[in-house]
Amino acid sequence: MSTSDTNTPGGKGPQDGAPENGAPENGPENGNALAAAEYALGLLEGDELAAAKARMGDDDGFAWRKVWWDNWFAPLTDNMQGAEPDPAVWDRIAAQIDAANAAPANSDSAEIISITDALSARIRRWQWTAGVTSAAAAVLAAVMIFGSGSDAVQVDEPVIAAAAPAPLVGQVPIGDTGLRLDVTYVPESERLLIGAIGLAADGVHDHELWLVPADGSALQSLGVVKPGGVLVHDLAGDVAANMGDGVQMVLTREPIGGKPDGVDAGPVVAQGALSEV
Amino acid sequence: MTDQPAQSADIAREHLRAAMVRLADGDAQALEQIYDATRVKLFGICLRILGDRKEAEDALQDVYINLWQRADRYDPTRASPISWLATFARNRAIDRLRTGKVRGGAVPVEEAAPLPDEAPLADALLVDAERTAQIHECLGKLDERTRTHISSAFFDGFTYAELAERADVPLGTMKSWIRRGLKRLRTCLEASE
Repeated sequence: MSTSDTNTPGGKGPQDGAPENGAPENGPENGNALAAAEYALGLLEGDELAAAKARMGDDDGFAWRKVWWDNWFAPLTDNMQGAEPDPAVWDRIAAQIDAANAAPANSDSAEIISITDALSARIRRWQWTAGVTSAAAAVLAAVMIFGSGSDAVQVDEPVIAAAAPAPLVGQVPIGDTGLRLDVTYVPESERLLIGAIGLAADGVHDHELWLVPADGSALQSLGVVKPGGVLVHDLAGDVAANMGDGVQMVLTREPIGGKPDGVDAGPVVAQGALSEV
Repeated sequence: MTDQPAQSADIAREHLRAAMVRLADGDAQALEQIYDATRVKLFGICLRILGDRKEAEDALQDVYINLWQRADRYDPTRASPISWLATFARNRAIDRLRTGKVRGGAVPVEEAAPLPDEAPLADALLVDAERTAQIHECLGKLDERTRTHISSAFFDGFTYAELAERADVPLGTMKSWIRRGLKRLRTCLEASE
């Protein structure tokens, strides 16, 4: 049941444990509870951590139990000694907020997208189908703003042919932040949009999104996420060839600029899948 | 730790709650007020987990920027503001530990960064006293070995693998020790609800 159980020799089946009085749940729910506790405590790493993060987004029971544990553990922080941070920390926070307010969703390195109103509308419907989130709505707004400012918009061009392959959409929840990447791929143009509205750069890392080819071959980069903005770019042919319904994506934490050549990718911090709608 | 005047704690908590609501409503000024009231506690948490002042300050910055961006994530029906913020800060610090190159708990915090003796402001921002007593009581019912490992996970940010290595036992052994402890802990905590 629980994905984090697969390689846990310690086991937590019914044989495991002293006679607990009156815990009302059994089997799967019990597994949920302990995985949530393990995640809350911070015991997990690697695949187990990625699985727990993913469950926060799609398993309400797990998410509820995680918060339950968080709330019980929180008082322990009273035993951690307080400390005064350098005053420069607040200056940096204030500066970052000022900068964000001054340049909302700026997209300096991303290509300006130009799409027709009809395609915008279709993307919007797909976004809605995938689940309305403020992030998704923000991505759409950004797309529409970029589109409306471009001479290349041609409302009357019949871009959407009946036989055009359906776009793929996917979301990659970012831990327990409530934020997510919104990924949209338009097969007919081999164009990928990665929206990361609400995410902030930490100044020392970038995050890179990867396609996990269904055939088991090496991961392929889908681009370095642009925090607070939308990355739009055309996929190379060999990457585009692997795009399809159900394709898995993982997000890794990398040095600024993305994974350096010849170095292993950083840890997986989030995952998601694309689906055809 | 529970001997502060309950009234001042309540007032501090209420101020914080109000500031959180204002922040969620888009009042950026509220963030500075929240920062002033909580930075010492949250920085203490980041520092304890990360064991490095520079990393802890980056984590702290990250915490408040995230808070500003998504203040609406706070659900007042589930947790008090300070409980939620403390959890948030610890989770962000742990995230940093798992995904970055920080060695964190590998460096004893006493060596990494001497802390001031006083704990300014913290007394007004303790998490609910009743729950504090309860979690300590339930932890106290565990055998000492299990309690030590669970505490070490919480306070030092150690993973299963790190705890197993430090205790020089197989990973599976550490997992079953801790899981048994968590199961008991859960039963004890649920009984108190």
